[in-house]
Amino acid sequence: MSARTDTATYDLKLALPLAAFFAAFFLAPLFILIFVSLHTDVSMTKMGLTQYAKFLLDPFSLGVLGHTLWIGVEVTALCLFLGFPMAWAYVRSPRWAQAGLVLVILLPLLTSVVVRTFAWIVILGRQGIINTALIELGVIDSPLRLLYTEGGMVVALAQVQMPLMVLPVITALSRLDPNLLDASAALGAGHWRTFRKVILPLTFPGIVAGCLLTYAAAITAFITQTLIGGGQMLFMPMYIYQQSSTLNNWPFAAAISIIFLAAVLVAVTLFNMVGRLSKGYAQA
Amino acid sequence: MIVSRRSLLTSALALGAMHAFPRLTLAQARRLVFATFTGSWEEAHKDVLVPAFRKANNNAEITLDPMLSMDQIAKVKAALQNPPIDVMLHDPGPALQAIDQGLVEPFPVAKSQYYKDLIADAQEPMGPAPFFQVVGITYNPDKIKKPPTSWADIWKPEYKGRVGITNLNSTLGTGWLVEVARMRGGSEADVEAGFKAIEELKPNLAAVAANPGQLATLYQQGQIDIGPGNFNAIQILKARGVPVEFVAPKEGAIAFKTTIHIVKNSPNVELAAKLIDASLAPEVQAKLMESPYLIVPTNTKVKMAGEIARALAKDHADMKKKFVFQDWKKINEHRASWIERFNRDIKI
Repeated sequence: MSARTDTATYDLKLALPLAAFFAAFFLAPLFILIFVSLHTDVSMTKMGLTQYAKFLLDPFSLGVLGHTLWIGVEVTALCLFLGFPMAWAYVRSPRWAQAGLVLVILLPLLTSVVVRTFAWIVILGRQGIINTALIELGVIDSPLRLLYTEGGMVVALAQVQMPLMVLPVITALSRLDPNLLDASAALGAGHWRTFRKVILPLTFPGIVAGCLLTYAAAITAFITQTLIGGGQMLFMPMYIYQQSSTLNNWPFAAAISIIFLAAVLVAVTLFNMVGRLSKGYAQA
Repeated sequence: MIVSRRSLLTSALALGAMHAFPRLTLAQARRLVFATFTGSWEEAHKDVLVPAFRKANNNAEITLDPMLSMDQIAKVKAALQNPPIDVMLHDPGPALQAIDQGLVEPFPVAKSQYYKDLIADAQEPMGPAPFFQVVGITYNPDKIKKPPTSWADIWKPEYKGRVGITNLNSTLGTGWLVEVARMRGGSEADVEAGFKAIEELKPNLAAVAANPGQLATLYQQGQIDIGPGNFNAIQILKARGVPVEFVAPKEGAIAFKTTIHIVKNSPNVELAAKLIDASLAPEVQAKLMESPYLIVPTNTKVKMAGEIARALAKDHADMKKKFVFQDWKKINEHRASWIERFNRDIKI
């Protein structure tokens, strides 16, 4: 036990430079943000909580918050649905195929978000790939509206954030001992049962990590939300930008940011709790 | 000397910081910094204004630091005593905000060589207008054979699902809303009619873009075929072979003064004033009026020519007749509530 305490103190000292960096460039600005949010007027002369009241008592603003958090859920679910099989395919492929697959998985990370998002504009537009293909196949007569719709945006966000889901799941899956699957099969479990009772519990921490990353990235993805969602779909990042940049209303923008941060922290805590519960489940 | 680990670490950090932020040690005596706009404005200013300014001022050093109006304001506001910018460029809304917040030094009108030659609308002692931005109707001539002539044409049923506008975050979006309201009997103080008109436009709307840059690219994607557009943004697309045309509607094209300001507490006030004067000079403005820049001049000594004379106005008297200027002081008073209303009501 004493050896473990030693390691702990040593670890802390090593973290000092990072902690100083963190304090100077994250904590200090955060406190400034909180301070700004506690002003009642735009020119920041009087203190008070009116900005928070203005947001929390306004159904429209709460709607924007709820919608943003919900979009995150949709994107995360889609990423998991498409990303898990991809991670599975990667882990189960022979080595030569893995090299190719890892390139496919990482490729989105190597291009800028702006470029990826513009590609989606080209895909989803009225004269985009999907509409042109459907029209030429005779499935539809006039182009469907795909761009500037929630569905289009969720798909684009899912593609943009996919690596954040796939990579942690791959890590979890590659640590899974293949003998366990054979053992499960030998004991008479079918594929689905093995998946539910063995694979899922053992890879759950990886799935939670992936969901956490995807969720956080999806709800704050200002660029993709703006370019694919358009100017009439309002989400929290755009709301903050609008209030701070266009209207110069820094106190309200700061209050929205703090509320958004708090809401995200709650979501993250929930994810973590699920993750911790699963740990006990996996060991049991 | 015994150096403790801690002090070694501190000095190493300090040295590192000085390398990372060389400006820490050079807080004073910096070169002139001009925050122009991004994109084609930066190019135009780098190619024409900067050489002209340096030639006239003994090769004075200058840095262009392109950023949006609101970012300029934020940067100056954050360091009011020692601003990182000397000269700001603003659309009418942000310009008034910057002046109201005391971020602007008056332009020394008496010392200026060219100020008196500007058209009356461009003469602003807190910061003159070196050029105008013009908003008219943009359309795709491949798809729309008969050129539109009035703002009202955008509401025609034949353009169902083909119209693009921006939200009110941009000067373009806000100015256009005011113009539509005016067309239907409203004013800068009362845009009720404008909101009603946008409500009626919904069947035609294919896109509400987040900003004018995005709006312009939608013509390229074939996503939209008609809508309000910025003259300069359209010229850039046209130069790249995108089928777009600009027409000034018969109600008049909306003109925004883009104003240039000396930043309060700038360490380079004199050079800043010289740069502004250079931007008002007829030679500079004449050159900026040519292709590919096509920037609308404000100096009456500049003879209108080329695309600007063809599409907008043949001289400054004509310009006065054809351009519509808006009262941004009034608009700014209400803009926050309009944006809120747009957020709530405009869903397509």
